[in-house]
Amino acid sequence: MINRVTNQGLMMTAQRNLQQSLSQLAQKQNTAGTLKRIEQPSDDPSGTADSLRIRAEQASVVQFGRNINDGNAWLSTAETALSKTNSLLQKVRELTVQGANDGALSAVQKEAIAVELETLRAELMTTANSEYLGRNIFAGNSTDGKAFHDLDAVPPAVPYTSTSTGSIVERRIGANTTIRVDADGAAVFGQGDASVFKLVDNIISDLRSGVNIGARLNEIDTRSSAILGEWGAVGARQSQVLKAQGANVSESVSLEAQRADIEDVDLGQAIIELKAQELNYQSALSVTARALQQSLMDFLR
Amino acid sequence: MSTFSGLNAAYTGLVAARQGIDVVGQNMLNMNTEGYTRQRSVQSASGSLAQVGPLMGKVQVGQGVSVTGMQRLGDNFLDAKVRTTTAASGYWGVRANELTTLQSSLNEPSKNGISTQLTNVWGAWSGVALKTGDAAAAAVLIQESKALAGQIAVGYTAVDNQWSQLRNQTVGMATELNEAATQVAGLNGLIRSTLAAGASANELIDQRNLLTTTISTLTGATVRNMPDGTAEVLVGGNTLVSGDKSYAVAVTGTSAMVGAAGDPVKLSWVTRPGVPVTLDGGEIAGALSTLSAANATGTGGALAEAANQYNVFAQEVADKVNAVHRTGTLADGVTTGLDFFAVGAGPAALGLTVIPTGVAGIATAKPGAGGADGSIASAIASLGKAVDSPDKSWSTIVTGIAVAARTGLQQSALADLSTKAAVGNQLSNASVDVDEENIHMVAFQTAYNAAARVMTSVDEMLDTLINRTGIVGR
Repeated sequence: MINRVTNQGLMMTAQRNLQQSLSQLAQKQNTAGTLKRIEQPSDDPSGTADSLRIRAEQASVVQFGRNINDGNAWLSTAETALSKTNSLLQKVRELTVQGANDGALSAVQKEAIAVELETLRAELMTTANSEYLGRNIFAGNSTDGKAFHDLDAVPPAVPYTSTSTGSIVERRIGANTTIRVDADGAAVFGQGDASVFKLVDNIISDLRSGVNIGARLNEIDTRSSAILGEWGAVGARQSQVLKAQGANVSESVSLEAQRADIEDVDLGQAIIELKAQELNYQSALSVTARALQQSLMDFLR
Repeated sequence: MSTFSGLNAAYTGLVAARQGIDVVGQNMLNMNTEGYTRQRSVQSASGSLAQVGPLMGKVQVGQGVSVTGMQRLGDNFLDAKVRTTTAASGYWGVRANELTTLQSSLNEPSKNGISTQLTNVWGAWSGVALKTGDAAAAAVLIQESKALAGQIAVGYTAVDNQWSQLRNQTVGMATELNEAATQVAGLNGLIRSTLAAGASANELIDQRNLLTTTISTLTGATVRNMPDGTAEVLVGGNTLVSGDKSYAVAVTGTSAMVGAAGDPVKLSWVTRPGVPVTLDGGEIAGALSTLSAANATGTGGALAEAANQYNVFAQEVADKVNAVHRTGTLADGVTTGLDFFAVGAGPAALGLTVIPTGVAGIATAKPGAGGADGSIASAIASLGKAVDSPDKSWSTIVTGIAVAARTGLQQSALADLSTKAAVGNQLSNASVDVDEENIHMVAFQTAYNAAARVMTSVDEMLDTLINRTGIVGR
């Protein structure tokens, strides 16, 4: 009895088939329109999890990119400041060599050298307080506002002493990699009596009081080699940052490719599937129109 | 055997054929009536008159045809199968519907989801680490964090609203159930008296079958046909309709999601308050299972579980960020132990707030590292990359709901398939086939012609007998 076919049954089947075909068409249209493979998490739960992970990964790569750029800017500023410090110190050395010629120089000439040295000392102080976006690059994480105070320092600040708290400024350039982006002010300029500022002050006072300043050349050379050492370290760190920048870009490209792989559909494929489904629907319509037309009534007279 | 018995026999043939055509007509007219079951007139040949006395022993022919009834060509087993399958597809249909709505409210994967907002928050922490003490970076962080708290609250509220909506729908379903039960009881009474009077109650039975199918779709009820023609409707073994009496049910229990654990939503008998109706399936069972409270194993009602997950997630975000933030110091390098997020009373998802109002309240520095240090902010920014990060918890929540929705949809599709098959079988047995009815119509028409022909023959015989007797050879 179950195999009996009736008009109502026929119509219901036809209607159901049409509905099914139409809903598939709608789905294909939606896919081709949005070009998204995952509309709802239930479309592909594990794909959704991957997609969320990769999106988070992408966001962190973008963030690392910002950190790298910021670190690069810090290191560039430090590099410039160190290069300037080095040339200032060379200038000081030249003047010291010149001023050490006790016999050849008159008191007036010596005074001229002393004045020039004073200008250089002020310039060294300015360089030591170089800033990037309001932060002293030689002051570590100090909030003092200055890396080194001049002789006019207001207590409790101590003149010629680094205000750094000893902690270093770091930037995270990868999930597990941080890099130091500041330069050690104390190592570059020295502290207190051992500082480059005190050294220049000593040369000036020696010059004015008639003591031969040739003996100071050694101290200048020691300081100079300390600066060169720090300069090299900053350069090495900057090259590491630049390498990280390249890796960061290539990682963001590969992540985008992964994301597209998981989330997006191929346009060509989507359109072919849509067209195929359109054809299916049209044939379903025409078949249905044929099947429901006739009954015995058409032939009875 | 009387002279005129032939005429009478022919007349019974005419009547039977006419009635047959009437039934064919009724079938054809109700070809598309929902729930109509085709009928057939049942004929039987009338036997010869009983012979008594001296005339016994003669060969006698029957007295024509009689219509003994209108048979309703339904099949109780197929009807029962339809009721069972619609109960299953009702149950899974409601659950699949609710889970689909739930997962749409997640907004994942997209740029507007909580996962994206979480990465924005980590990005903002990283921004603060780059520019400690910068008011603008701090403002971005506070805004992004507030937006995250807002999104969690919106997600939770959406679940809460969905719960209330479903609770209202369940009340509507219970009303529909009560109405259907009352109507079945009324029809039972009518059918009983009609059958007792010897008339045909086929159309009433069709109507009652439609209603019992509705009841089964709602509750998974079973139907027992009684000898007096009434149908007894049983829900979970208890009588919903018996004879012409029906028993009303009502939805009781909490009207807010937070109360679901203490006072679960259930279906109760109105006459016996507090006694829950045991359901065997159906839409109401699907709704009640979705409305039930969360439990320790995470297998409670889908909505309460989702709300619970929002709360756990909000608490986790607050705890993880606070744990690191407390170790940091403000710009003064001294003040430590400050929280970043606060979780108010009530559901954590709704109570998540951001404590700092500006750069002054954000502890970015490691103690002793100087006020401009950003390592604590950087450590918070790295929380998103941790093995047990809030991002991973959220992803787990989304995946869990996605899998539940997918399973629900698949089960619903399967249940629908078997319902379709059962309804198809029922239809192919009970619905009207025009070709078949045409053939019956032709057959009855021919029978009518034949009976009329018989009558004419008898008439002619009588004519010969009455008018021509005795005039042979005149």
